[in-house]
Amino acid sequence: MRPNDRKYSESHEWVKIDGETALIGITDFAVQELSNGNESDLVYCDLPEPGRVLTAGETFGEIESVKAVSDLNAPIAGEVVESNVAIEEHLEVLSKDPWGAGWMLRIKPERKSLEGLMDAAAYEKFCASLKH
Amino acid sequence: MSTWRLITTWNAQPAFNMGLDEALLESHGSPPTLRFYSWKPATLSLGYFQRFDDVPAAREARSVVRRITGGGAIHHHRELTFSLVCDAAEPLYAGSIGESYERVHQAIAVALRGLGIEPVLRGERRLASERQDTGMCFHHSSALDLVWDERKGVGSAQRRTHGRVLHHGSIKLGTTALEGDIATCERYARGLSPESFAPALRSAFESQLGLRLESGVPDALERARAKELGPRFVDPAFVRRR
Repeated sequence: MRPNDRKYSESHEWVKIDGETALIGITDFAVQELSNGNESDLVYCDLPEPGRVLTAGETFGEIESVKAVSDLNAPIAGEVVESNVAIEEHLEVLSKDPWGAGWMLRIKPERKSLEGLMDAAAYEKFCASLKH
Repeated sequence: MSTWRLITTWNAQPAFNMGLDEALLESHGSPPTLRFYSWKPATLSLGYFQRFDDVPAAREARSVVRRITGGGAIHHHRELTFSLVCDAAEPLYAGSIGESYERVHQAIAVALRGLGIEPVLRGERRLASERQDTGMCFHHSSALDLVWDERKGVGSAQRRTHGRVLHHGSIKLGTTALEGDIATCERYARGLSPESFAPALRSAFESQLGLRLESGVPDALERARAKELGPRFVDPAFVRRR
């Protein structure tokens, strides 16, 4: 079961409110899709500079696995406060700990409401539907 | 059976080739599209994230672009290049990225067998075409790559954005000085051109992937976008962005 303390988007990002800010990352499902279970298959990641203002759904970065470049999309709107640039050189962290050390952005959310995003149970069902 | 559009553009300019693929990628609502093409002049394409300085051949090539798909550099000469562009929800791209490669490579394998080649997925094999530090796609392989003669002969890469997929592929008909000792069709079919190989590939995509291909052209909007988007791919600021 995935963590209950955050919400999930259909493009497989998660967002977790953390005080006045929110953390954003990608889910284990996304990591598995990109890397086929092989952590060394993730090769590059570009994250935005602090200060960039994101709208909900906007592409904030890109990640490359051995076989595809994919967009990273903002699940909610807000201003980037910090990017976890350490993971750009250690993408294996995304496989080992997508929910914690693998966070990508800390943003100052435009609103604290996470309406329209899925909770863990709904996301679980959503992922199951993609496998059929 | 799903109906796809087949666009064929032989000997097209590098900016047009890349611009049209991006225009098709952002063309939501357009039919899923398979494109066969070749390049004039011969052009080296860098993978989206590659550093220009990590690809020594990029300094030797007379024409260089940067792709929006990932992977290593390819010298587009003596090859049939193809792109598949569609919604990520198309059955061809259902499941994992690896599964989609496997399906497409199995279809290409059928076309290659028609030439007398016996291609296989690399799996755990060690290849004679591996080279260190060249940054070239054909010198670096993964388990899902299509290989024959103990060498890699088909290069592939994808871009996934906003629910759409762009899948680039290069099938080597002959080799070039920048790519060296890789698997090619030449040994089996001397003088094979992209134009003469295309019908067999078309037929294999139809029979193996369950597609019905209808010959078509980009619509007016796609052509206009291709023209707008193309120049970026040859702009030194983009080519040398990393």
